[in-house]
Amino acid sequence: MKAMVVKEFRELARDRRTLAMLIVLPLLLLVIFGYAANFYVSSVKAAVVGPQAAQVTAQLPAFFEVTVDAPTDTRADAEKLLQDNTVDVAFVADQTPVLALVDGSNLFAAQSIVGTLNSFGSSVQTEVLYNPDLTTAWVMIPAIIGLILTFIGTIVTSIGLVREREAGTLEQLAVMPIKPSSVILGKIAPYFLLASLDMIIVTVLGMTLFDVPFNGSVAVFALGAALFLFVVLGIGVFISTISRTTGQAIQTAFLVMLPSILLSGMIFPLDAMAPGVRWIGYLLPLTYFVMISQGVMLRGASLVSLWPAFAVLAVMATVVFTAATLRFRRDLAPGERRRAPAAARVDA
Amino acid sequence: MSDVLLRAASVTRRFGDLTAVSDVSMQVGPGEVVGLLGANGAGKTTLMRMLLGLLGTTSGTVEVLGGPPTRERRRRLGYVPQNLGLYPDLTATENMRFAADSYRTPVPNLPADLARYAGSLVGELPLGAQRKLAFVIALSHDPEVLLLDEPTSGVDALSRSALWDTIREQSADGTGVLVTTHYMQEAQQCDRLLLMSDGQLVGQGSEADLIGATAAAAVRTDDWAAVFGVLNGAGVPVILDGRDVRVADADLDEVRRILAGAGLAATVEPVPATLEERMLTLARAKAR
Repeated sequence: MKAMVVKEFRELARDRRTLAMLIVLPLLLLVIFGYAANFYVSSVKAAVVGPQAAQVTAQLPAFFEVTVDAPTDTRADAEKLLQDNTVDVAFVADQTPVLALVDGSNLFAAQSIVGTLNSFGSSVQTEVLYNPDLTTAWVMIPAIIGLILTFIGTIVTSIGLVREREAGTLEQLAVMPIKPSSVILGKIAPYFLLASLDMIIVTVLGMTLFDVPFNGSVAVFALGAALFLFVVLGIGVFISTISRTTGQAIQTAFLVMLPSILLSGMIFPLDAMAPGVRWIGYLLPLTYFVMISQGVMLRGASLVSLWPAFAVLAVMATVVFTAATLRFRRDLAPGERRRAPAAARVDA
Repeated sequence: MSDVLLRAASVTRRFGDLTAVSDVSMQVGPGEVVGLLGANGAGKTTLMRMLLGLLGTTSGTVEVLGGPPTRERRRRLGYVPQNLGLYPDLTATENMRFAADSYRTPVPNLPADLARYAGSLVGELPLGAQRKLAFVIALSHDPEVLLLDEPTSGVDALSRSALWDTIREQSADGTGVLVTTHYMQEAQQCDRLLLMSDGQLVGQGSEADLIGATAAAAVRTDDWAAVFGVLNGAGVPVILDGRDVRVADADLDEVRRILAGAGLAATVEPVPATLEERMLTLARAKAR
């Protein structure tokens, strides 16, 4: 048995990826659950509109961070602020009781807001928009769509590409008269189509089984999904270039999936996370897709109001896809770079 | 057609501290079957991958059909890698169709002995059938040069003979062939041999040229293990052939003297050297 234990430790010491998982994963879980696993939102962004805006603002507790104070604005303006995700709650101070419009698409913030407003008694009339019953499924399903795309884009795509390497067919492709760009596009196009099909099925099922609304533009949603798919497919291709085996590809893709599930705002609200962890969430593409899918499906948000998320995904798609393509291209046409790198496998 | 189809000029390839191929120059002409011989790890595959442009050179240059191994030139090559490069989850016909579509050539007909496998998944075919299919695909676009990496590895004698018939047919039509193998018997099928050892080219020519005047000795004894141990310990280039001990590049008197000194009874007779024995002596000479 001793020999087996020694052999196992030796193998582990040389398997840096497994070692990284053994060390990084517990740390990641500790950090996430220590700092990020928090459903309680300590403050929310609020708008106060209407003639009595100043008086209402003065009476609001610190929980409501008033970022818009507009006495001349109306309910329609308040709704626009909510639809654009500028604020989480808007007080319309042109009547008694004051009307509080709550953004139900931001589930945990909305639950905290409703709880706080209930303590105000009859002085405030509460109306939850976009998710009146604060149904968890309504918020989760748009995010799950992103998670499925991440799964197909990273795990399935990287496995598909690594399988070419394992079977030795990647080398054969390099010898064939197929342009590297055609190989890459030919490899990812089926996954792009399959992921799109999966996305349509899940969206339609979500709408029919769970009554999730689709209030926005299908075109805006499709554009966001396409950009997001390019990012995750790029990550999948990149993972395949740094993995020799299917097992390695799955391990690496898992290191992308786990933080995506926990830190993208899909489960725990980003606003409730400690700033030291929140920044990780802002590096994850799923964070921006969740903003887009929830915004379009639940709030009917426009392309203009969602432009920051679109811009980040566009930048990510460009950077990740370019890096992945260049690395993959290097695998396909290595001899065209005349000088060789020093470290590589010896095939003698 | 150019006189030289494949050329390597002072090619070296290093992986970190390891030199896999060191200062190798070689060429293959039209209709020529050139055998790249050497033990596992000798650098044969690395040299072939550099010629294909699949691996960069650390120094030196490679030329394919008169220039660097670009994609356009590579389309005029046929390549059968060691692992065959077939898609195991596609059928034989689907594999052929993919290659034909890539090369924009008609889908070739399967030879009669492979026809029954047309609809079978390649991963489920016997290794001999897989190798034959890889050959059919590699030849489907009428390549000017064939690069075959251990093409008969793991194949039975009959299939091996059939594959060599195909190779000879191709060379008769003017195709240049570079074939790696570690089967010394296959060397006789080649027009010219390149012997590699530890990344170096230690000899080249026909089998007869290479063996030349190399002498060998057969040592017959009842205690072959002890004889082998003593001769090996004395630094003599010794090979086991069944229970016979053979000495490459032998000085018969020296062998007899060593064995007598160790008190071992044996008869030492001169015999014609084999290619393997010549490789051993060339490798030792190069190492010195």
